[in-house]
Amino acid sequence: MWMYEKKLQYPVNIKDPNPALAKVIISQLGGPDGELGASLRYLNQRYSAPCREVQAMLTDIGTEELAHMEMISAILYQLTRGLSMKEIKESGFDTYFVDHTTGIYPVAASGVPFTADYFQSKGDPITDLNEDMAAEQKARTTYDNILRLADDPDVRDPIKFLREREIVHYQRFGECLRLVTDKLDSKNFYAFNPSFDKP
Amino acid sequence: MPVLNDKQKLMRRIQQCCFALAEANLYLDSHPTCKMGLEYFRKHKAEKEKLEKEYNEKYGPLTAVQSEGTKKWEWVAKPFPWERGEN
Repeated sequence: MWMYEKKLQYPVNIKDPNPALAKVIISQLGGPDGELGASLRYLNQRYSAPCREVQAMLTDIGTEELAHMEMISAILYQLTRGLSMKEIKESGFDTYFVDHTTGIYPVAASGVPFTADYFQSKGDPITDLNEDMAAEQKARTTYDNILRLADDPDVRDPIKFLREREIVHYQRFGECLRLVTDKLDSKNFYAFNPSFDKP
Repeated sequence: MPVLNDKQKLMRRIQQCCFALAEANLYLDSHPTCKMGLEYFRKHKAEKEKLEKEYNEKYGPLTAVQSEGTKKWEWVAKPFPWERGEN
């Protein structure tokens, strides 16, 4: 089960609203490499993890991703406070506004709604952990691209924190992959699924 | 950097301490017998408990079950952290 803590993992305090920037950053909520998909990926995969270390890592990183989803949502919320209709029209935020007003809804920057197609749970820990490492790098690239597009230091600061977490998670999933493969028969490396077949 | 009030300064210390704990948690998941990692975890765990107690006494609950539950339900009396200046 889970408990909610009334605090952000890292502070988000943005002075100036910027709906055009919100339209881009929303991809890290509901886009293909966003925090919602990351959390659901790890929290669904953990049941077929073959050892307690990997079960713990998927649980704990999956939980941290929920805190990242909250940070992204706080960024979006603060970037879209107190907008005039003129600002909404001129920024291009009108295409989101028409369906969601300034409510938070998980979509990609292109407007495509969130879908479970963005992640897999394959029931094979070698396959899943390779996906997880790739997912962390894809999210890191998305944050790099957001940093190319965002000038406001109030926005860049929490985005840089989130980018760094992708790198740490990549490292930790790499260690999980090594833990799983170390326990396999070296002659049989990809010959069976350690969570399904009996060696 | 904006000037922080006392409540925000205490929240920063809690966030820093919890971040150290989160890092130790993930590291220990894959290195469960590392003595240095365990020591680092214990040090920050004691600090977190101390800081959260101070926060609860001065500014209210961080989790619903930390509410006193006496005169009124404090959980709804305090702002949520997505508001600017409240995290």
